[in-house]
Amino acid sequence: MKKSINKIKTFFSKPYNILLIVLMVTLTYLVILPLFSIVGDTFVVHASEKSRVGQPVGSFTLYHWLRAFASDYSKILIWEPLWHSLYTSALSCLVAIVIGGGFAWLVTRTDLRWKKVLTKLFIFPYIMPSWTLALAWRNFFKNAVIGGAPGIFTALTGITIPDWFAYGPFPIIVTTGLHYSPFAYILIGGVLRNMDANLEEAAIILRTNKLRMFTKITIPMVMPAVMSTIILVFSSGMSSFAVPQFLGLPVRYYVLTTEMYSTIQGTNPGVGYIIAILMMVISVGIMLANQYMIGTRKSYATVTGKSANISLFHLKKLRTVVSLLVVLVVLCMSVIPMISFVLQSLILTDGNYHLSNMTLDFWIGISKGGNDYQDKAGILRNADVWKTLFNSLKLSFTCAIGAGTVGFLAGYSIVRRRGSSLSRFVENLTFIPYLIPSMAFSAIYLSMFSQQRGIIPSLYGTFALLALIGTVKYLPMASRSGVNSMLQLSPEIEEAGVIMGIPWWKRMTRIIVPIQKSTIVSGYLLPFVSCMRELSLFVILVTANNRVLTTLLFFYDEKGWAQYGNAINLLIIFIVLLVNFVVEKLTGASIEKGVGGN
Amino acid sequence: MPTIRLVNITKQFSKGSKAVDHLNLTIEDGHFVSLLGPSGCGKTTTLRMIAGLETPTDGEIYFDDTCVFSNEKGINVSPDKRNVGFLFQNYALWPHMTVRRNIAFGLENMKWDKKKIENRVAEICKAMRIEEYVDRYPAELSGGQQQRVAIARTLAPNPRVLLMDEPLSNLDAKLRNDMRAELKRLHKDTGATFIYVTHDQLEAMTLSTRICLMKLGVLQQYSSPLELYGKPANLFTADFVGNPSINLIPMTAEARGDGVKLSSADLKLTFRPNEAVTLPESGKVVLGIRPEFLKQQAENAVDAQVESSLPSGMETILVTRVGAQRLTSVIFGDVDFVAGENLKMGFSGNKYQLFDADTGMRLTSGSLEV
Repeated sequence: MKKSINKIKTFFSKPYNILLIVLMVTLTYLVILPLFSIVGDTFVVHASEKSRVGQPVGSFTLYHWLRAFASDYSKILIWEPLWHSLYTSALSCLVAIVIGGGFAWLVTRTDLRWKKVLTKLFIFPYIMPSWTLALAWRNFFKNAVIGGAPGIFTALTGITIPDWFAYGPFPIIVTTGLHYSPFAYILIGGVLRNMDANLEEAAIILRTNKLRMFTKITIPMVMPAVMSTIILVFSSGMSSFAVPQFLGLPVRYYVLTTEMYSTIQGTNPGVGYIIAILMMVISVGIMLANQYMIGTRKSYATVTGKSANISLFHLKKLRTVVSLLVVLVVLCMSVIPMISFVLQSLILTDGNYHLSNMTLDFWIGISKGGNDYQDKAGILRNADVWKTLFNSLKLSFTCAIGAGTVGFLAGYSIVRRRGSSLSRFVENLTFIPYLIPSMAFSAIYLSMFSQQRGIIPSLYGTFALLALIGTVKYLPMASRSGVNSMLQLSPEIEEAGVIMGIPWWKRMTRIIVPIQKSTIVSGYLLPFVSCMRELSLFVILVTANNRVLTTLLFFYDEKGWAQYGNAINLLIIFIVLLVNFVVEKLTGASIEKGVGGN
Repeated sequence: MPTIRLVNITKQFSKGSKAVDHLNLTIEDGHFVSLLGPSGCGKTTTLRMIAGLETPTDGEIYFDDTCVFSNEKGINVSPDKRNVGFLFQNYALWPHMTVRRNIAFGLENMKWDKKKIENRVAEICKAMRIEEYVDRYPAELSGGQQQRVAIARTLAPNPRVLLMDEPLSNLDAKLRNDMRAELKRLHKDTGATFIYVTHDQLEAMTLSTRICLMKLGVLQQYSSPLELYGKPANLFTADFVGNPSINLIPMTAEARGDGVKLSSADLKLTFRPNEAVTLPESGKVVLGIRPEFLKQQAENAVDAQVESSLPSGMETILVTRVGAQRLTSVIFGDVDFVAGENLKMGFSGNKYQLFDADTGMRLTSGSLEV
C-alpha cells in the first residue's frame, strides 16, 4: 500500500507526467469524443429533417445511411461527388508533379537562366490562400454561365470561353495542381539538390550513359519525394473546398466537400455527417498506405552527402526559349493573378476593363445609403470589414497562442517520457486532427458543440468555438515542431538544472525556452498564418456575428459582389505576405519550409 | 597496366586559392601510391582529376603515352573512358539497388552477357566475402559490409587503376585494421595500380609502396614510406610523419673540423654529418630527433628530468626536460617512470636530422655527441 502511494507520488512529482495526463484528458474530450458524437449524429433526426423523416427530432433513424447508400439519391449524394473528388485530386497530383518536378529539375540540373528570381516567384502560390489561382482563373475565364459579364480574357480577345474550360474538373485540376506544384518543387528539388553527387559519379565511372543514369539512378532516388508529394497533394485536393466551390458550382460539379457543405447548410445534415465520416476514412486510408509504403521501402534510406559540383545539363540553343517559357508559367502562377485581383477590384461595370471604368470606390468609397452593392462603403471604410478583420486577427492570435503553447508543452512532455505508452498515446492524439480534413473536422465540431454537453453550453455561433477548433486543428503543426526540436535537446541540459535544485517553472523559462526560441516562435507563427487564410475549417461554423475575412470573401462571392470579393482577397494576401515576411525576418526560416516539414 | 603521369597539373577553383599547384607526379604501374596530407592539401582534388571527375585548370595527364587531359591540346577524356575504378569515402552505394544489382550495374553498362555477369558477381562476392548479402539493400548492411560491397562494385569490371578516396575513414578502428590488410592483399592479387587518398600517416606508411605528401596544393616529398620517415625532405614532412612526432630543436650551428657544434640555451652537442654539409650562413638550424633515438643510457648522455610517463605495455612514451627544453622519447618494454625522477638520456646511431631553419629543407643526417 505504502509502496503504491509512493509510486503515485513520484509519478506526479514530475511536471511532464502531469502535463501528459492533462493533455490526455483534454484531447480525448476534444478529439476522440467528437468522433463518437458525429457517428451518433448520423443515426438521429435533426431539426431541419423532421418533416422529411417524419419522426420527432432526436429519435433514432437509419434514414441518413439508407438515403446516402441505398436510395435513388445515393448517386448524386455520394458516388458522384466521391468520384469527382478522387478524379480531380489524382490529376492534380499529376499536374503538381510534372510542373513542380520539372521546375525542380530545370533549376537544379540545367543552366536555366534567372534561377534565383524564378524560384522565389515559383514558391509564391504556396504562401497564398489555396483559392488564389481559382479566383484568378474565374476573373480571367468566366463566361455567361454564372451571369454577368465575361472575364478579362474574353474582354481582351473577344473569344468566348467554353464551359469545360471555364468551370468544372479541368480548371479545378489545373489550379489545384499549380497551387501545390511549389510543394513538389520543394520536396523533389530538395532531393535533387542534396543527393550525394558521388552516387551519380560512381555511375559515370562505371560507364553509365545519360538515359540509363536518369531512369535507373536519378528517378529512383527522387521517388520517395514524389510519393510524399502525391500523398500531400492528393489529401489536400480531397479536402479542398474553396476551389471546387468557386469553379465547380456554376456547372453543378460537386465534390465531397461542396456536397457536404450544401447538405449541412441545407436540409439534410445527417448525410453531411456521413460524408464527413467518409472523408475521414479516406484520409486515414491514405496515411496508412503511406506508412505501409515507407515501412516496406527499406531500400530508400535517405541519402545525402557532401555534394561536389555536379556538371549542369546544357540546354544549349533552347536555353533562352526554355527560360522564357518557365518565366511565363511562373508569372501566370504568381504575378498575373495578383494583377487580376487588382483589376477586378477596380472596375465599375463588369467586363469593361477600360481606364474610364476604373474606380477606387470599392476600396475607399463612402456609402450612399442605398441597398445596391455598388452603394456600399469601400472595404477600407466599411465598419463591417474592419470588424471582420479585427475578428480574424483576434481568432488567429488566439489559435496561435493556444496551439503554440499547448504544442510546445506537448512536445516537451512527449519527448521527456518517450517510449512510455502514455507518451505514445498523447503523441497520437495530437496528430489525429492533422488526419481529419478541415471541413470534416468542422462538421464534427458542429455535431459535438451545437448542443449543450455536460457543463459546456452550446457553443454554436460563438467565438469560443472557432478558437477551439482552430487551436485543436493546428496543434499538430506546433507539437510536431516541438517534438522534433526537443529531440535534439539532450535531457542532461535540464537535468543539470534539476541537480542544482532549480524549480520546474524556472527551468522552462530560463533554460528550455531560451534554447528553443526559434522553434517556439515558428510554433506560434505557423498556426497564425494558416488561420488567417483558412476557409473550409470555419465556413460551416461562422454566423453573421463572428465572420472572419475568409468567410466574408466567401459571402461576398456568393452574393456575386466580385469587386469587394477581390479587394478582400487582396487584403488577406497582403496580411499573409506581411506575416510571412515577419516570420522570415524573425526566425530566418521561411514558412514554406515549416509547412513542408510536417 | 599503365603508368600515370601528371605534368604541371594546377587546379584553381572559381574563387580562392589554388587547390593543386603545378604538381608533377609519375605513378608507376603496379604501385600502391598514397596521396597524403592534412585536410585541404589538394589530395582528393588530385585523385578526382586523375579520374576525370574534376577538370584541371592547367597541365596534362597521361595514362602511359595516351594523353587523357591536356589544357593546351584541348583533350579531356571523360571518366567512363579512362578505365579506372573509384572507391568513394561514403561508398556511394545506390540505396535502391540490392548488392547484386549494385555490382552488376557497371557490367551491364559494358554490355557483358548475362551469364558472364552472373559469374563475375559470384566470383567477386566470394572474394570479398559478401556472398550471403547479395540480395540485401545497402541500408541493411553494416559499415564494413557496405565497404566490401563498394570494393566489389569497383573491382568487378577489372579496372586498370583503382582510385580510393579515404575509403576507411568511416570504419571503426578494428575494422579499419582488417580492411587495411585486405586492401594490401587485393593489391597483390589484382596487380592493379592503386592510388589512395588519406590523411592518416599510419595508413599511408603501412599500405603504400610510395607516398606523395602534399601541403596546400604543393608536393612536399614523393618517396617510399621508409625514406619519407628516415630522410624527410623538410621540416613539414619530418613533423607530419611519425607518432609521437619528431623532436625539433632550434639551435645555432658552427662548423668545427669534421663536426658541427650545435648550441641552444639548454643543449650543447656536436653533430657528425654522414656526408659533407654546407651550413646556412645565418647558422640557424633545427635538429630533428626521432623519439626512438633518444634513449635512456649512461654514456653519451645528458641529464634530464621526467615530466610525464605514458606506459602502454609494449612501449612507454616518456617526456623529459633538459633545462627548459622538452624532449619526447619512446622507451620499449613495460617500464614506467615517476615524474620528477632524474634520468640520463643519450644518443646513439646516425639517424639524427639537421634542417635549415630558414628554408626548412633537410641538410643532412648524422650522429650526435654530447
